[in-house]
Amino acid sequence: MRYLWCLFLVLVIAGCNSTQAPTSEGVSIDLASLQPLPVRYNEGVVPLRVSVAAVVSPRGTAESYQLLLNYLSETLDRPVELVQRRTYQETNDLVESGEVDVAFVCTSAYITGHDQFGMELLAGPEVSGESVYYSLLIVPSNSSAETLQDLQNKVFAFTDPISYSGRVYPTYLVQQLGHTPDSFFSRTFFTYSHDEAIYAVADGLADGAAVDSLVYDFALERDVTLAERVRVIHRSPPFGIPPVVVSPNVRPQQQALLQEVLLTMHETQQGREALQALGLERFILIEDSAYDSARQITEIVGSLIP
Amino acid sequence: MNPFIPRKYLDHFWTVAGAVNIRIKIIGIVLGLVFLLGLAVTWQVRQLLSQAMYAQLSEQAVAFTRDLAARAADPILINDVYALHQLLQDTRINHPNVVYAFVVDPDNYVLAHTFNGGFPENLSDANSATDDAYEHTTILNTSEEQIWDTAVPVFEGRAGTARLGLSDAQVLQTIDAVTGQLLLTTVMVSVIGISAAVFLTWILTRPLLDLVDAAQAVGNGNFSYRVTRWADDEIGKLTDAFNSMIEALGKADAERIEREQSRVQYVHGVITAQEDERKRIARELHDSTSQSLTSLIIGLKTLEDNCQHCRKQTRVVELRSIAGQTLDDVHTLSVQLRPSVLDDLGLPEAIRRHIADYRKRYPINIDLAVTGMDGIRLPTEIETALYRIVQEGLTNIIRHAEAHTASIFIECSTDKVLVVIEDDGKGFEITNVQHQDGHLGLYGIQERAELLAGALEIESEPGRGTSLFIEIPLHTESAELQENR
Repeated sequence: MRYLWCLFLVLVIAGCNSTQAPTSEGVSIDLASLQPLPVRYNEGVVPLRVSVAAVVSPRGTAESYQLLLNYLSETLDRPVELVQRRTYQETNDLVESGEVDVAFVCTSAYITGHDQFGMELLAGPEVSGESVYYSLLIVPSNSSAETLQDLQNKVFAFTDPISYSGRVYPTYLVQQLGHTPDSFFSRTFFTYSHDEAIYAVADGLADGAAVDSLVYDFALERDVTLAERVRVIHRSPPFGIPPVVVSPNVRPQQQALLQEVLLTMHETQQGREALQALGLERFILIEDSAYDSARQITEIVGSLIP
Repeated sequence: MNPFIPRKYLDHFWTVAGAVNIRIKIIGIVLGLVFLLGLAVTWQVRQLLSQAMYAQLSEQAVAFTRDLAARAADPILINDVYALHQLLQDTRINHPNVVYAFVVDPDNYVLAHTFNGGFPENLSDANSATDDAYEHTTILNTSEEQIWDTAVPVFEGRAGTARLGLSDAQVLQTIDAVTGQLLLTTVMVSVIGISAAVFLTWILTRPLLDLVDAAQAVGNGNFSYRVTRWADDEIGKLTDAFNSMIEALGKADAERIEREQSRVQYVHGVITAQEDERKRIARELHDSTSQSLTSLIIGLKTLEDNCQHCRKQTRVVELRSIAGQTLDDVHTLSVQLRPSVLDDLGLPEAIRRHIADYRKRYPINIDLAVTGMDGIRLPTEIETALYRIVQEGLTNIIRHAEAHTASIFIECSTDKVLVVIEDDGKGFEITNVQHQDGHLGLYGIQERAELLAGALEIESEPGRGTSLFIEIPLHTESAELQENR
């Protein structure tokens, strides 16, 4: 009898120790009572809106441009807002409509924007003393391909539909071989950013891709394993570097102020750190003629947008 | 004694538990055990299961939300609200537990959500991820369920926060289903348990009921009854012991019956011998002694006549008177020893004369009523016995009762004869008297009645007189014999 009682007590104690369903913290919500969301009013201060074309993924962009945006905000003493879009075209549309003030765009985006609605050059970055970049044809490191010819009937990754280094130039190369991308490659797809195109090749998702040399170098610096997983089989002639542009709607004084800030950026410690985060040395003035070679090839390739 | 339970409750329990039969007890034990075990196990399993399932729910909420947060970063950064909305909808559709999903920007403005036509009040403020935590879960109450609301920062909080609400409805449903299943199992096992208990009870009680039957049979004098031995257990041993006991009792009873028969034969012999002896002495007194006395009286009469005026005449008359008196005494003694009336005129007349004799000798009023005996003679032994019983009864009344009136009632029917002897004397305590050695009279009446398979019943109270009821059965054959006679 006594043992029975002990057993019973043990059971009771064991039962008490085991917790029941967790109790709520007292917050009650009525999910059925739906209210319209509050309207968001613009604040008094108009921020400087900066757009960065999707050369790298949105998160990569947000991370690497943070210091630059901080620098601009402090120097100009006004809030800076980063506006990102998936495609180069969407960014160009933002510049055209004046929804953003400053944009970091790709070479072909500039050529298109300049020719279509007078997108204006503000400055060009300088890397290793040059303000040019290349289109690099990359393949997985274990691929046997040595030239573009070897990629026939393979899967090819384009970056953005209007990217110069990622689409216009490789299309030009395929055309030189007497093909169109659709007939030459078995399949093509868009990654919408250069770093994702590199990873698509590195992971074997694509048999080849053409990428911005600046993004490629920068990506290899950040992820050393990439050097073992991809290799370059072709380097293009130099083209004008992707510039910093302003909307034609931005007032000239504002333009001048922005240009001044960018060009003197490397003179301060904070500015240098922001440049370093982007893999750049400094911003310099750049002429529209720097993009003539690229413009020429773009014209040969013709309209890429069906 | 168990210190936990007061004795009074134990007693009460025993009063109830002891009153029900073994079948109920065994079923009670089985059911109690099964239910106790079943309920304890069910309860414990429910506890453990709910613990595990809620932990799992919590982990699930975090995992889903982290996944959502990772995938929401790009659409948020490029302001692709449609893709974001699609992502939230997909999350909700692909995980049935997910009640809602939404994303807020760093200023806690809702960017996209899965609600249709509005957004619940206060929901966006109900939970938030702190800077140093990867996620934060809070439990919200709604009218129907509890919701595990998890917040995970998107892109380290720079792109906002992803929020996901996971309902515990399915968890509760699963727990209830498992609990129900366990309870059902318990009930089913109980049913099996009851069947087993009924069978077990049958196995257990069958020999016991046999023993009860045997005990009753033995009580009714059936010593040939034997209990079947069902099993080689304690009850089997009890059965053996019981059978041996019946055997021993049977033997003892047989011996007792034998002894009783011997005794009855002996008593019968004694009574018969006594009657014969009395008859012989009475005849002797009547035939020999009375004749001699009569001759003596005649001789004295002759002598008296021959010596008239003689000096010795007075003396002769005196002697003749003494002889006449002695003859009367001898006659009375002879009648008392064995009234020839009993043989010649039957029981009623013999008793009537005996009573008349008593009336003469003692100051007591005695009534006699006889019914059903006209022209009927009972067997001699019954008549003799009844005569002796009445004689003994009246002797007792004269000696002990101090009564003024006595009455004797004899009723004869076809199958029995009933004699009632009553008086209005001082009475006595029956229990005090019946087995005392001094009351051989009553014992004699009883013996005589029992020898003829009859019975004596005594009703008496101090101060209220005494009634003796003597009943003697008349066997059919003797009755027939009687009518033929």
